[in-house]
Amino acid sequence: MKDPSRLYRWMLLWTSLVALGFLLAAAVRENLLAEWQQRQRAYRKLLAEKATDARGRELLRNFRIELRQVSVPALGAVDRCVSCHVGIDDPRMTDVPQPYRLHPVEILEHHPVDRYGCTICHQGQGAATNFHDAKAEDAYWDYPLLPRELTQATCMTCHDVSRLPPQDVTLVLEGMRLYEQKSCGSCHKLQGRGGALGPALDNEGLKTKHQLILTNLKPPYTTWRWHQAHFRDPAGIVPGSQMKNPTVTEREALALTAYMLSLRQRDVPESYLAPDKIAQKFRALSPQPQPAEQLYRMYCFACHGDGTYGRWEKTFQRFIPAIRGTLAATATREYLETQIAQGRPGTQMPPWHSQAGGLLPKEITALADYLRASPAARSARDLAARSRPVARGDAARGQMLFLRNCAGCHGVAGVGGVAPELANPVFLRAADDSFLATTIRNGRAATAMPAFQRPDGAGLSDAEIADIIAFLRSLESPSQQTAQAQDKSRAGGSQ
Amino acid sequence: MGTTATIPEKTSATQEFLDNLRQLPRNLKDAWFRLGRLPESEREESQATFHNLFLHLHSVRVHLRTLRPSLTLGLGLIATFSFLVLVITGLLLMIYYKPSTALAYQSMKDIHYVVATGRFIRNIHRWAAHIMVIAVFAHMARVFFTASYKKPREFNWLVGLGLLVLTLALSFTGYLLPYDQLAYWATTIGANIANSPRELTDALGITPYFDPGGFQKRLLLGANTVGEDSLIRFYVLHVFILPLLLVILLSVHFWRIRKDGGLARPEDPPGGLAEWGGKLHRVFEPLATKTYGLMAVVRGRRPPVNRGPEGTVMSWPHLLWAELAVLMLTIAVTLVLSFYIDAPLKEIANPAVPENPAKAPWYFLGLQELVSYSAFMGGLVIPTIAVLGLALIPFLDRRPGGEGLWFGTPGERTVAWQSLLFGLVCTVGLLAFTVNFGWLRNWFPEIHQLWIIAINPGSILVLLFAGWSLWTLKRKNSVRLAAVALFTCFLVGFVVLTYFATVHRGPNWQFYWWPSQWPVH
Repeated sequence: MKDPSRLYRWMLLWTSLVALGFLLAAAVRENLLAEWQQRQRAYRKLLAEKATDARGRELLRNFRIELRQVSVPALGAVDRCVSCHVGIDDPRMTDVPQPYRLHPVEILEHHPVDRYGCTICHQGQGAATNFHDAKAEDAYWDYPLLPRELTQATCMTCHDVSRLPPQDVTLVLEGMRLYEQKSCGSCHKLQGRGGALGPALDNEGLKTKHQLILTNLKPPYTTWRWHQAHFRDPAGIVPGSQMKNPTVTEREALALTAYMLSLRQRDVPESYLAPDKIAQKFRALSPQPQPAEQLYRMYCFACHGDGTYGRWEKTFQRFIPAIRGTLAATATREYLETQIAQGRPGTQMPPWHSQAGGLLPKEITALADYLRASPAARSARDLAARSRPVARGDAARGQMLFLRNCAGCHGVAGVGGVAPELANPVFLRAADDSFLATTIRNGRAATAMPAFQRPDGAGLSDAEIADIIAFLRSLESPSQQTAQAQDKSRAGGSQ
Repeated sequence: MGTTATIPEKTSATQEFLDNLRQLPRNLKDAWFRLGRLPESEREESQATFHNLFLHLHSVRVHLRTLRPSLTLGLGLIATFSFLVLVITGLLLMIYYKPSTALAYQSMKDIHYVVATGRFIRNIHRWAAHIMVIAVFAHMARVFFTASYKKPREFNWLVGLGLLVLTLALSFTGYLLPYDQLAYWATTIGANIANSPRELTDALGITPYFDPGGFQKRLLLGANTVGEDSLIRFYVLHVFILPLLLVILLSVHFWRIRKDGGLARPEDPPGGLAEWGGKLHRVFEPLATKTYGLMAVVRGRRPPVNRGPEGTVMSWPHLLWAELAVLMLTIAVTLVLSFYIDAPLKEIANPAVPENPAKAPWYFLGLQELVSYSAFMGGLVIPTIAVLGLALIPFLDRRPGGEGLWFGTPGERTVAWQSLLFGLVCTVGLLAFTVNFGWLRNWFPEIHQLWIIAINPGSILVLLFAGWSLWTLKRKNSVRLAAVALFTCFLVGFVVLTYFATVHRGPNWQFYWWPSQWPVH
């Protein structure tokens, strides 16, 4: 009879051989063929080539192939980069290929490796012992190795960028300048100041790729590749994005990207912070008023442009008023202040008071004055004739006149359309009768709002204008609220 | 060996001491191995088995049917041995692992990059865990389809069920330990499944007064969200409590195999003819006047070697070879997988960045699919029904017959095939329907949640399977066949749902044909 365990003995033989083979293979692979070991063997050859004097021979003699790491508990870093980058502090290693080359000396002078490690500046996976994982571009690691030109972004972890030698942080500085020039603050907040349409950017540099929409980006997926592509074409990267295309060159997109990456609120022990960084943090606690012109450029320009022309904004499906033209000439400073501080609820115009857009009361006053001081406003001032008193009108008549003359642009019952919404509570509270009358009478230069009364008196009479104003005032009263809401939904439905 | 070195009467103690010292290696070897060489007679083979704590788990002789690879497929052994591998690699990992949210992830990285062969050891641990879960499920299916749960083995079936639950619990608790994104969100999903009674209590509006879901979740996590408390809880469960329970249950499981007369096999009629080794043999018929104890077999009056009339062979060496072969097979497969495929380790756990899709460990994905329809039904009711149903099988099907034979009852194979088809059509059909047409909430957005708890693809599947089983009961007039119908459907449903949720569910639990089509986040 056949031996009942014959099959099992053969099986045991073969499985044992396989197991033994793979155990041996694994032992060799894990213990002898690690990438860092191969790198260090190659480095030892370099050491041997350069061992021309006694010091060099001693270095060669003392060289051990072993795992090297910089442990910096204060920064939570255990960086093993030096296991392959063995020559970063050997001044002779200037003509050798990476990863053996000398690190730029002047940086290491101020940032000794044993105190700072590597990843605080370069990012990347410090724990890794092979280059693929250390670079971590397609590894499971939140902060992959930064490309060389973007490494300057991490300086801002500990430094105030304005106190660094400008030639070392050119990209970040250019990005900062562009941020202001492109008026990014109109929609984005930094340190509590800015618009509310886009996300706040205070910690943008520490976002991981998983917090971004990568669908339309081609791999490799990194935050900086995303930012660069996004600055070139926001809606192309984030479908449906309302972000205005900043129209930048490749280089400018890179600079903006560097600036974005420099926005990092990393908790670093105080002893690591440069004194200017600490001063910067203190300054942020009690912001000083900025000049109005700079404020306008930073927080208004993206939507209002230079304020001379009103325009139709396609993305918002809304009319954006010219705020430095006849409006500023007609309106009082208080009216403008209210508009800036309170915004226009229901539109893209956010409130800018200190709890919202973060502007100081002083700054808002300065901005209002700035608007009124524009050349267009000044030249229009003589048209204003604000002194003419407005008689008490009749709202019912005013409604008929409104429907005939105004509703085409401002919507039935003033809900807005091509032209701004007039039934807006903030607007009606802030706008006094003479402001409304002047505006209707003279129109708004450089916008679609025509003058409804010519200098010779043709067009609407003063009484008719008073009737319209009475009608507008009636929109404010609570009894009109429901009618308004119905109107609004009807207008919304018909669009 | 066997000869005792005689100590001469007239020697000094010094001489005796020196002699003993000289003979120390040999005596040590004798003390250690006792027999000192491989057993040669069956008597010695028997002694080798029952004089050894570990080997005496076996009976001295083993039936040839039991040795056939086709009966058990070695599944129970594979599960046991992968557990052994898990214990050994787990102890090694424990030396380096630090169960704290601040350190756990970094210690995983150290194991991966710095500990000598640490990555390989962790891979083995991961793969052995997968193999163990698969083997335990397959072993249960094997025991069911060979009707090996029948009297007197009902209790051992229950013990096995306990082992299944413990295995899943062990694997699940191990999932959190790396504290990466995968761990964090899989555990969050698991905790939400524990929280699932909330769906019912919320729908009834009684959660503020009676909240078993919240209690279960807090019991599991030690907090409201996954964090430090959960990690230490899972760690203690994973490295101490659950393995201890598993070892205890495993011992009972093996002990019961011995006490229940070895692995289930058809009874050879005493005195009749039975086929083994390709020939017909007369089956050993015990004399009515004689008591056959174990020692009677061992003491020389024993059946002839290798052609014993009762169809058995000596456990040493035959069963031992078989077990060693399965042990090495398990190890070899684990090693090969571990050599080529690394255990996953994602980014460090980040409560602010949810994984999308966040998926539970694969063996819970079938449940997660059901939970996506109704948390209460999928997370509590259906698993309870499944475990209870499995536990009741040996108590509802008590007619002997077919033990130890694959599909041993007449008509069983047909029913199994039909049920396979039925289960497949039902599960795939329901999934396809739900993907294409949605469910009650899509059609009646205002509907009360209680309706959805009651009527959802999960509960309908349970009803379909139960109906099919009852129909088989009536149609075939056999409890066993009804059980086969139900069990097959359960198995098919489990496999299909697990596969579906693994492969075809993407971000926001949307349907995708392949993971490569997922939008990148």
